[in-house]
Amino acid sequence: MNRLRSLFLIIILLFFSSWLGVVVYSYLELGHFKSVAGSDGILPPYYSGQAILGARVYAASGCMTCHTQQIRQLDVTHSDIDRKWGTRPSVALDYLRDQTAFLGKRRMGPDLSNVGSRLTDPIWYYHHLYEPDQVTPGSIMPSYRYLFHMQKIQGELSAQAIPLTGPHAPPPGYEVVPTKDAQDLVAYLLSLKHDYTLPEVSAETPSAP
Amino acid sequence: MNNATTLSKIEPASYLSEPLPLDASKRLEIDRSLSVPILFLMRSSFFSFSLALFLISICAVKLVFPSFLDGISFLTYGRLFPVAYDLFIYGWAIPLGFALILWLMARLSATPLSHIRILTAAAHLWNSALFLGSLAVLAGYGTSVIFLEYPNWASFLLFVSFLLMGLWVLLLTQERKERALYVSEWYLLTALCSFPWIYGTANLMLTWGKIQGSAQGPIQCWYAGSLMQFWLTPIALGTIYYLIPKITGVKIYSYYLALFGFFSLLLFSGWNGLSSLIGGAIPAWMMSAGVVTNIMLVLPMIAVVINFYWMFQESEKLILHQSPALRFVAAGIISYVIATVLSLVSSFPCFNAILNFTDYLSGTFLLFFLGFFGMTLFGGLYYFIPRLTGISWSSSKLIQFHFWLSVVGISLMVSSMVLGGMIEGVAFNDPVITFTNILSYTLPWNVLVTLSWFLLLLGFFCFMRLLVTMRWEMIEEKLPMPR
Ligand code: HEC
Repeated sequence: MNRLRSLFLIIILLFFSSWLGVVVYSYLELGHFKSVAGSDGILPPYYSGQAILGARVYAASGCMTCHTQQIRQLDVTHSDIDRKWGTRPSVALDYLRDQTAFLGKRRMGPDLSNVGSRLTDPIWYYHHLYEPDQVTPGSIMPSYRYLFHMQKIQGELSAQAIPLTGPHAPPPGYEVVPTKDAQDLVAYLLSLKHDYTLPEVSAETPSAP
Repeated sequence: MNNATTLSKIEPASYLSEPLPLDASKRLEIDRSLSVPILFLMRSSFFSFSLALFLISICAVKLVFPSFLDGISFLTYGRLFPVAYDLFIYGWAIPLGFALILWLMARLSATPLSHIRILTAAAHLWNSALFLGSLAVLAGYGTSVIFLEYPNWASFLLFVSFLLMGLWVLLLTQERKERALYVSEWYLLTALCSFPWIYGTANLMLTWGKIQGSAQGPIQCWYAGSLMQFWLTPIALGTIYYLIPKITGVKIYSYYLALFGFFSLLLFSGWNGLSSLIGGAIPAWMMSAGVVTNIMLVLPMIAVVINFYWMFQESEKLILHQSPALRFVAAGIISYVIATVLSLVSSFPCFNAILNFTDYLSGTFLLFFLGFFGMTLFGGLYYFIPRLTGISWSSSKLIQFHFWLSVVGISLMVSSMVLGGMIEGVAFNDPVITFTNILSYTLPWNVLVTLSWFLLLLGFFCFMRLLVTMRWEMIEEKLPMPR
């Protein structure tokens, strides 16, 4: 039994080195970051209640399989910032308010860390989610039609109706409007703006072009 | 530490991979006690594997024709894709690995199994959690944490049932009649003991309870890396260390090389996952640790491959040509070498800047997963199943088909992902190239990847066909039920 026990001991020691180094360290250090006071309030800003619900829709729809949310540091690559996906690299503090940090591993579509500063029109988002390949020809993003429903136009066209003209246009007298899930999701996307300046990153921020 | 002294006591017996031949009646007793739970685990793993292959093929088609089955919530890419991967891992890699652990541990410890009811019950629990968890992800209850998509109740059930199964095997090692500890066992015990720990902590921090978002990134990556290096690698290597000596009759070439390979693997594993956050939002030292350990993982690879190479050299060439198991194992070893080199290249920050977030990394993972782990385990199955059921394979043609379809499928898939990924990465790094242009560059490669998934599906059908002709349902009934 002696050998078995020494084998177990060594396995455990070596195994725990990475466990302590990565898991416990992350939890104790990064997991206890505090928000900071910026010139315009507490940073990173809180998500609205609707955006928090929207993050759940984001998780449920698996947007993370194709979209990352991280801008890489400048000593590794400039391309993320050159592509205008952000103005500065992401830092751990940026994820402070996230229930789940949607870092992502694969970029089938653009990075979304700052999509809320880049695209500001909710109707654009609705339209894009409904028929991506009509909005961006050649897109391989799947349609999220199940987040919308068609209804009879009651008097006036509702403010959130998608201006559809292509193959998915509703029959006359009908309109396509977002469900609550779609509204939450877009509220979340619109709040994805990591463009505030944090004290710890200001040194790395490139001068404005 | 007195490790050195204790280790040197694990002496010559370990050169062999298995106790000296047991007498026939003893072996029959062990095999029979094994067959019910092992065949159950294997059967469920084959079912998951075919389901996963089917779902991932749909995903691949969707990337080429985005309108294929679109707009349906439970068939959307972002849900199907994680479910397919989770079925590969929790439906196939873990139950199958576990079945092999059971077999090898019982054989190596020369102990027949007792109290198998607990084991079978735990395996049923595992399957139900897997099934319900996958349905929940399809219904939109996924967590969107890579490889941990199952909702918390499902992952908790998986955790509990693994603990039940694992504890049961550890009891087996306590009851063992054989005193020596073999190279295969080092690896298998490592996998067995570390999986509940990594799965437990990762879930504890990311799904059961959620720690602050700022700390989740490194832990997500740690989990993905650990899953590869503490489950997939040890199971595959443990199987190879058992199979080669067993089939060829050659002893393990160098015991010290084996020791070195084992401990260097343990030392660098776990850290390596951090390399997927190069340039990411983690402290600089973590990034360096990820880079260095990912490069260092070449050492255990070289150590085991030298060992295997010499064992192949010393064995009779005729055996190599005739044994389907060894053929699959050889393909597995070659995949291991290539995958390690590919991942080495992508862990240098200058290359990583280009290759990160592209299909290059998915290709590397799939070569590791399907090429190294998958081919090796299929090799194991070609060896074990006839011994479990007492019936030999009905058609060597079908085995050949399975082998070549897998080899061609995996090579085509990995090379198109790697090449396509490099092109994609270079294009990403040139901001003048618009995103839709990049999509048009990757499209042809995605077509090839789809094609190769279908080849793999076809290869697996050959394997299933072989199993069906074995009519193992009937065989199972004929065996006296062990109590
Ligand atoms: C199959 C992969 C895939 C999935 C899944 C996916 N996307 Fe996309 N997404 C893309 C691609 C490719 C593009 C670029 C082409 C385009 O604009 O449609 C894109 C573009 C976008 C854009 C525009 C970004 C920009 O800067 O132009 C937004 C916003 C977006 N996606 C949001 C989402 C959301 C929200 C989800 C989940 C509900 C999602 N995506 C799921 C592939 C995907």
